[in-house]
Amino acid sequence: MMRAVILAAPSVDALDNPALSALLGLIVITLIMTLGVMFATWYERKAVARMQQRLGPMRVGPWGLLQPIADTLKLVSKEGVRPASADRIAWDLSLAAIFVPAFLVLVAIPFTADWFVSPMDLSLLYILAVGGLSFIGFLLAGWGSDNKYALLGGMRAAAQLISYEIPMILSMLAVVMVVGSADVYRIILYQDVVPLIVWQPLAFIIFLTATIAELERQPFDIPTGESEVAGGVFIEYSGIRWSLFQLTGYVNMYAYSLLGAFVFLGGWEWPFGTDIGWGYQLLLTMVKMALFIVFFLWVRTSFPRLRVDQLMSYAWKVLLPFALAQIFLNGLVLVYDLPDVVLLATSGGGALALCWLVYSVVRVKPRQPLRMVGNVPATAPGSVSG
Amino acid sequence: MVAEQRPDLETIDMPINMGPQHPSTHGVFRMVLVVSGEKVVDVTPHIGYMHRGGEKLMETMDFRQGIGYADRTEYLAQFSAELGYVLAVERLMGVEVPERAEYIRVILTELNRLTSHFMFAGAFGIDSGLFGTSMMFAFREREFIQDLFEEISGDRLMYAYFRVGGLAWEVTDNFVQRCHESLKTAERGIRDIDDLLTHNEIFMGRCQNIGAFTAQQAIAYGLSGPMLRASGVPFDLRKDEPYSVYPRLKFDIPVGNYGDVYDRFLVRIEEMRQSVKIVEQALEQLPPEGPIVAEKLPRRLRTPPGEVYAKVESPRGEWGVYLISKGGDKPYRLKMRSPSFCNLTALREMTIGQFLADAVMVLGSMDIVLCDVDR
Amino acid sequence: MIGILRSLGMTARVAFRKPVTNSYPNVHRQIANRDRAFPILLWDEEHDEPFCTGCHACERACPVECMTVVMKDNPKHATGESKRRKIIDEFWIDYGRCMRCNICVEVCNFEAIGMNNTWAGHELSRFDRSELVMDLDMLLSQSKAGKVDPGLRA
Ligand code: SF4
Ligand code: SF4
Repeated sequence: MMRAVILAAPSVDALDNPALSALLGLIVITLIMTLGVMFATWYERKAVARMQQRLGPMRVGPWGLLQPIADTLKLVSKEGVRPASADRIAWDLSLAAIFVPAFLVLVAIPFTADWFVSPMDLSLLYILAVGGLSFIGFLLAGWGSDNKYALLGGMRAAAQLISYEIPMILSMLAVVMVVGSADVYRIILYQDVVPLIVWQPLAFIIFLTATIAELERQPFDIPTGESEVAGGVFIEYSGIRWSLFQLTGYVNMYAYSLLGAFVFLGGWEWPFGTDIGWGYQLLLTMVKMALFIVFFLWVRTSFPRLRVDQLMSYAWKVLLPFALAQIFLNGLVLVYDLPDVVLLATSGGGALALCWLVYSVVRVKPRQPLRMVGNVPATAPGSVSG
Repeated sequence: MVAEQRPDLETIDMPINMGPQHPSTHGVFRMVLVVSGEKVVDVTPHIGYMHRGGEKLMETMDFRQGIGYADRTEYLAQFSAELGYVLAVERLMGVEVPERAEYIRVILTELNRLTSHFMFAGAFGIDSGLFGTSMMFAFREREFIQDLFEEISGDRLMYAYFRVGGLAWEVTDNFVQRCHESLKTAERGIRDIDDLLTHNEIFMGRCQNIGAFTAQQAIAYGLSGPMLRASGVPFDLRKDEPYSVYPRLKFDIPVGNYGDVYDRFLVRIEEMRQSVKIVEQALEQLPPEGPIVAEKLPRRLRTPPGEVYAKVESPRGEWGVYLISKGGDKPYRLKMRSPSFCNLTALREMTIGQFLADAVMVLGSMDIVLCDVDR
Repeated sequence: MIGILRSLGMTARVAFRKPVTNSYPNVHRQIANRDRAFPILLWDEEHDEPFCTGCHACERACPVECMTVVMKDNPKHATGESKRRKIIDEFWIDYGRCMRCNICVEVCNFEAIGMNNTWAGHELSRFDRSELVMDLDMLLSQSKAGKVDPGLRA
């Protein structure tokens, strides 16, 4: 396994103390991520604007590039209001409970072949486990704010995050079965010829859906749904606290996009191999991550939000059975040593079945189209107008 | 595993105060929802935050001054509101409106129906959780039509263009051509919204079988407009009690089968297509020359004593003006029958038993204008 | 699934269209000739005085009673420079109340008042409502400086 190398600070790697170097790496990663998030907010606003035929931010700096800085300044200088009746401990703890896991996830992510903070044998498990912790923070925030919208949002968030954690983990499990390792590094190395999305399209689709749900982005932004619970758990937070929540949301988006890029798109390995140097590898990682992010934005502009019961039944009745089926099929293929193409066939078939299900469930009963009533009044006016 | 029943832990229904400042109450509307978990068990609508005494104000104004107030009552279908008001006065005075003015009125009212329904489609998209895309698509086309209104009447929102006996002034020279351009963009806008929303499975899943009303219920609640037609009652004042030049125009009225939120959406989208048709025909039949104001109108409008009820099919339903005059230049009593208000009465019945998120959709599908509700 | 893909296709297609918005304070939309912003008084270049004779017709017709007109004898009439016997002395319009209904313009017999159809008539944000009460000088300034659009209907 590679040695732990401190991100972007090679000179410090003389430090022998692994704890210290990990701490330094974490700090560096936090700073870089904060900058990345600032860029992401700008990019999101721009991209969404273009998909809506708008210009997006244009005022601050060229093409509004300095907009995130202005936003940050505004948010930091804003007064942080805490409701008098809020549960103080829960209110403040929630911040940490959401914020810390998001950054801890980044520890185990190998940005290039030898750029990561800490190598682990079970990094995939670690990422999923730590990433799944944030629901505690949502519950705390929902309860601590002493606001009914926040409470509703918190409950929704907890239910949604836990529900979608399961199909997400199961889809990952399918991949782990194929690769034979729960180390993201190994998974990347496994994809030197063909990325896993080809062998496991069904797992990929499940992962993608569950990711959007985990990130609480449209169409799964039920906990924060603007038009229903008016911001959900964040409703009482303002100023720097709110911006930390926002920051966390974007860091999570980066983390999951990276995970998707590594596990399904081949990370920095495919298609050029391990030996092209860290610069290209980083670029490759970024490009693949960007694909995910663009997809999230695209989905965000295109879809209405699901309802809470639809969300639940989609997780438990659709994604979960399909994820289990995927694992079962993978098991069959691996136990009987069938060729890899069977993986593709089964998984692809499953993916198609999933799409068909989504298509058909909504149209259980085909609805009659509108009737068009022509030029003659069809009713005697008196009977209706009274 | 069955959870043990704990008598000391009771679950209570939680009242939630939605509005008057809430992103999806379409203005300052407040509803107190009582929810049990996510299900709504009771709704109490509170209105009146926008009450400005509009009816009373209009009683202190002469018939020209009132037009501006009619605009402000129904600020998304201003031409319909103006039309209802001037129709009432004209009927009381027995004024004959020149044909050209009638056609221009119909054209503008139908274009206004387009802008109003665009507004609905956009806002409804937001209610359903779309991140502003439908709103942007709708506003794109709406702004274009509003540009046309601005060129003609001088204002983007409060047109004050119809007058008792006709129109305030002549339309612009390129009116017909600009109308055709607007129709073209409107058609594109309808297509875009259609592509974006109508067939989307998520949208369907959110809208279908929500807030359904049968025809009997709809009639019993006195619903009108698209809300009524979605429930399967083919009643449209433009057909059933025609006014202006509508009898000369060929168009269909779309009628829904299920009476749910999705049908209301479809009906409105289809109505937009029909409006495009109406405007096209009206533009063809529009007399190129002619007076736009009735002749021999006194400088100061006075009505004979009497009462009259004039109603028009506004985008939201039956917009009526009930006018009592005791002679003189001001109404003695003016009552506006606003479709938003009457449709809103069905909110409770439609919402109870639905999910919290559906309450928002039902309210959105009513397409209320709060100024019109409260007056 | 088909509808979902259609929605995605829609937004993707739109992303390649030209944006329809403009960056407002830098770029101003062309406003129509007939645009009605707020009423302004017009300046008679020929006689170097306002057209307005202070006849109170607009004041009486205004539905929101936001105008105040004070009339005086025209000193120029005594010297024979002007045909107007009476002239406006003080004129206030409360832009905060005006509902831009155009009635004052319609009733004026002297074509002395018109609806501003330039951007100056729209960008009137103030920190205090009382600053929106325009006096005679302010109402006349735009017309005096010749900055009124020729399409203005009076
Ligand atoms: S535009 Fe109307 S409200 Fe404004 S000053 Fe003139 S008459 Fe009064
Ligand atoms: S603006 Fe016209 S109507 Fe008003 S006082 Fe002056 S002259 Fe009379």
